[in-house]
Amino acid sequence: MRHCTPEDLGLAALGEPLPADEAAHLAGCARCGDEVAALRRGVEALAVPELAAPGPPVAPPPGLWAGIAAATGVGVAPRAHVVAASAPPAGVPDSPPLPVGAGPVPPPADPPLAPVVPLRPRRSRVLLAAAAALVAGLAIGAGAVALRGGDDAGGSGVPVAAATLDPLAESDASGRAEVVERADGTLVLEVDLAAGAPAEGYYEAWLLTESVSGLIPLGVVRTGSEQFELPAGLDLGEYPVVDVSIEQLDGDPTHSGVSVARGQLA
Amino acid sequence: MTDLLGPRTSQRPRTVGWVTTEATPAAPDASGPDDAEVGRRFAAGDEQALAWAYERWAAQVHGMAVRAFGPGPDAEDVTQQTFVSAWTGRSGFRPEQGPLPAWLVGVARHKIADTWARRDRQRRAAEAAAAEAQRLPAVGPAPVDSAVADRVLLLGELDRLGQPQRGIIELAFFADLTHTQIAERTGLPLGTVKSHIRRTLERLRDRLEVDGAALHA
Repeated sequence: MRHCTPEDLGLAALGEPLPADEAAHLAGCARCGDEVAALRRGVEALAVPELAAPGPPVAPPPGLWAGIAAATGVGVAPRAHVVAASAPPAGVPDSPPLPVGAGPVPPPADPPLAPVVPLRPRRSRVLLAAAAALVAGLAIGAGAVALRGGDDAGGSGVPVAAATLDPLAESDASGRAEVVERADGTLVLEVDLAAGAPAEGYYEAWLLTESVSGLIPLGVVRTGSEQFELPAGLDLGEYPVVDVSIEQLDGDPTHSGVSVARGQLA
Repeated sequence: MTDLLGPRTSQRPRTVGWVTTEATPAAPDASGPDDAEVGRRFAAGDEQALAWAYERWAAQVHGMAVRAFGPGPDAEDVTQQTFVSAWTGRSGFRPEQGPLPAWLVGVARHKIADTWARRDRQRRAAEAAAAEAQRLPAVGPAPVDSAVADRVLLLGELDRLGQPQRGIIELAFFADLTHTQIAERTGLPLGTVKSHIRRTLERLRDRLEVDGAALHA
């Protein structure tokens, strides 16, 4: 069996989607998967929003320089009005601060200290938008399976999992996904999408890991019903989340980060 | 949270010539020499250059600190320590390797990671004291938050990278660029970018496996 190249394993650790062949191999290969996991630890430690390139500037309070002057013994000083003019007024940051314990010694019950979003920002935006939907999808998806009662038992395969696709953020997209096993053992994912045509671009279906750290692109979805044959050896336990995104015709094969509907297979 | 991430992805560093994630030129109305000259004088120990650097980039540094800790003493300490460390450690700044603001941002990352580590130590001390006070059965010391320790370790490892490796991995980690975008930005061939990314990630992995194991033991 041909393994992924070390370069592709590095890109996968960064969260970049691989070509379909490589992604399919990676999904089924423990050795390559372990390697990605080992490389990803460094990514998760450092590629966090708090360490990202500077965002909105915040003018430091006027007294801050005094401490620097005292510690360095530097005799000159910055011009206060220039510092003040370098950013919007302090205390009104453009972005909300991340939730962290307030006091210098937070009580033990505080949430974890470093608020970590252990994914690349593009991914974490997807993750955040989806967190609630995932929970809802779990419950509803399970209910949907229970209620089905073989209504299309005469169809082309045996249903093995299903998910309700719930709208994300302000989207009005919703739908249903079902995985059926054909007589020859192949798995097919059928996506039923109810959504208006996107203002720009097109819908694309993906399978995601629960942590949204891995993605398998499935293909273009239109409103209505689409079927995708899943790569042989794909572990749906590892990629249990069906995601529909809006992609632009920009030649960039990676996930745009704009998901409109999502659900967890159960 | 979306707002938090939004501005950064739309921000595009404007400095070219170095492989760097962050370097915002001085405001057009700023007086004094250009940024490169401020960098050279800073490296040479000219005190006025520290004041100029503060005028031009303290708000960027403080913005990062506030993003990590919210407005208040922790953020102010980070900003203060960043400039103090940058000045006392200015022999480590090489103007020919990159612009001064990018270097300041790198120092700020260390200070943010150090602050997390300090808070983690305080948390463990507080938990130990609370357990003691409540006479809870001994459960051993509270575990070190491994992500916090990993960050301190790996930021140190990034400092050891030469260019262009360091700039490439910073664009991937901190500017959220894909390898294709990094190649476009830097003008380096795609294969070169991919192989630098791989080697750097392997280096970070090795560092965690060797030193991280000892640290967490």
